[in-house]
Amino acid sequence: MWEKLANVDRRWIYALMIFVIALALIKPIGLAIVPSADTQKVYDIIENLPRGSIVWMGMEFSAGGIPELMPALQSMIRQGFKEGRDLRFVCAGMWQMAGDMADQAFSIVKEEFPHKQYGVDWVNIGYKPGGDVLLQQYQNSIIETAKGVDFYGDDLSQFPLMKEFTSLKQAELVAIFCTGTPGEKEYIKHVTSPNKIPLVEAAISVSIPECMPLVQAGQISGLLAGMKGAAEYEVLVEKPGSATAGMDAQSFSHALIIIFMILGNLGYVFTKNKKES
Amino acid sequence: MSETALTVGTWLQAFFTIVLVSAVFKDNPLYRFAEHTYVGLYAGYGVALTYFNYIRLNVTTDIAKDGKYIVLVPIIIGLLIYTRYIKSISWLSRYTICFQLGIGSGYVLAKDFKPFFVDQVRATFLQLWGSGDWWVDVSNWIYVIGTVCSLVYFLFTIQKKGFQGRVSMVGRYTMMIAFGAAFGNTVMARVSLFLGRMQFLLGDWLHLIK
Repeated sequence: MWEKLANVDRRWIYALMIFVIALALIKPIGLAIVPSADTQKVYDIIENLPRGSIVWMGMEFSAGGIPELMPALQSMIRQGFKEGRDLRFVCAGMWQMAGDMADQAFSIVKEEFPHKQYGVDWVNIGYKPGGDVLLQQYQNSIIETAKGVDFYGDDLSQFPLMKEFTSLKQAELVAIFCTGTPGEKEYIKHVTSPNKIPLVEAAISVSIPECMPLVQAGQISGLLAGMKGAAEYEVLVEKPGSATAGMDAQSFSHALIIIFMILGNLGYVFTKNKKES
Repeated sequence: MSETALTVGTWLQAFFTIVLVSAVFKDNPLYRFAEHTYVGLYAGYGVALTYFNYIRLNVTTDIAKDGKYIVLVPIIIGLLIYTRYIKSISWLSRYTICFQLGIGSGYVLAKDFKPFFVDQVRATFLQLWGSGDWWVDVSNWIYVIGTVCSLVYFLFTIQKKGFQGRVSMVGRYTMMIAFGAAFGNTVMARVSLFLGRMQFLLGDWLHLIK
């Protein structure tokens, strides 16, 4: 029996994982989501920004980061656009799908905040090639660096927001959504560290261990950790979404992985003892 | 976007999701087709985006309209990299590589040193007692001891025995705990990725969940 446990065909594990996740999504039990200190910090930073502040949103992710980062991004938009906050957002990125991700994120505005206007309350500059050189140039002139056009090909100089926000240095806060490189390190060295602008980040779970030294050093002011951080942020913003819906499934899938790890290790230990004896 | 286009898009998404996941059960031709489609699509999208959003604008705005002909110098240096395909003049590509290496090194020296070395070292200067919260004091001790011991582990010029050996061992275990945490986070990230796809399949495609 222990030998079988130590050598379970991985396809059974995958099939069981798919079954558990599907079941948890179809029939969730509603496990409690308690916002962590890190998530609360991000919420408080956004909440304490002066009314009408301009936030630079770095869309440093592609379609693979949507499950973990899009809920956090949309929650930040909801918090920023709510009555009495009226934050303004300028979105750009060094990743190719930056413009598409911003477009998808702000698709909620039409229904939830119909009074908000593109060009006045938010602008989507999209992707421009150049990597971290781009961040340096955005500090000189955003319109010139973006070649005068936004993601949709419209003239940037016509927008009231871009007439006021001419340089990245003017941002009150930099909020980035990252799945890898280029990412937070480029923003820290070119933008936030030299100009003393606070930086908050929503990162995928795999990047969290890498980000923690930066959080500990104060270079990242607040961190939303993966889908869990996004779910906690949705709870704080009081608008549950896909991250909250996925938490039960994530908890059960992790429990399944832990059970298999324990069984596998037990199988290994007992078969090893058997061979030695 | 029309209803039909959305429906076709949803079905295509579902097809490619299922086909790509099928690889964990058995490698099959449909998986290879999906994989190649994804790679080709991503590469093509990148090229098209860069051309229309940047290269064409550079030529029409900077060069043709504003007369900034100096921009042609870095363009030519960049294009020299393609001489690698012509054996007789492939040596010209070395100029492009030299520029990239020089700029890259200069950037790293100028920009990376303070935030990723000086500031990180400064972050280890922590209050080890008297902060008012015993857990903060304990955490700070763990942080400082873990950092120092991990650094000692990488002193390869001294033999790992005696006191240095014990300190290195503590550093090694500290790193193992960190790698375990990193592995746990990686598992969580991959599960989240798959969760997103399952939410799409069960929600947007099959309408079994809201």
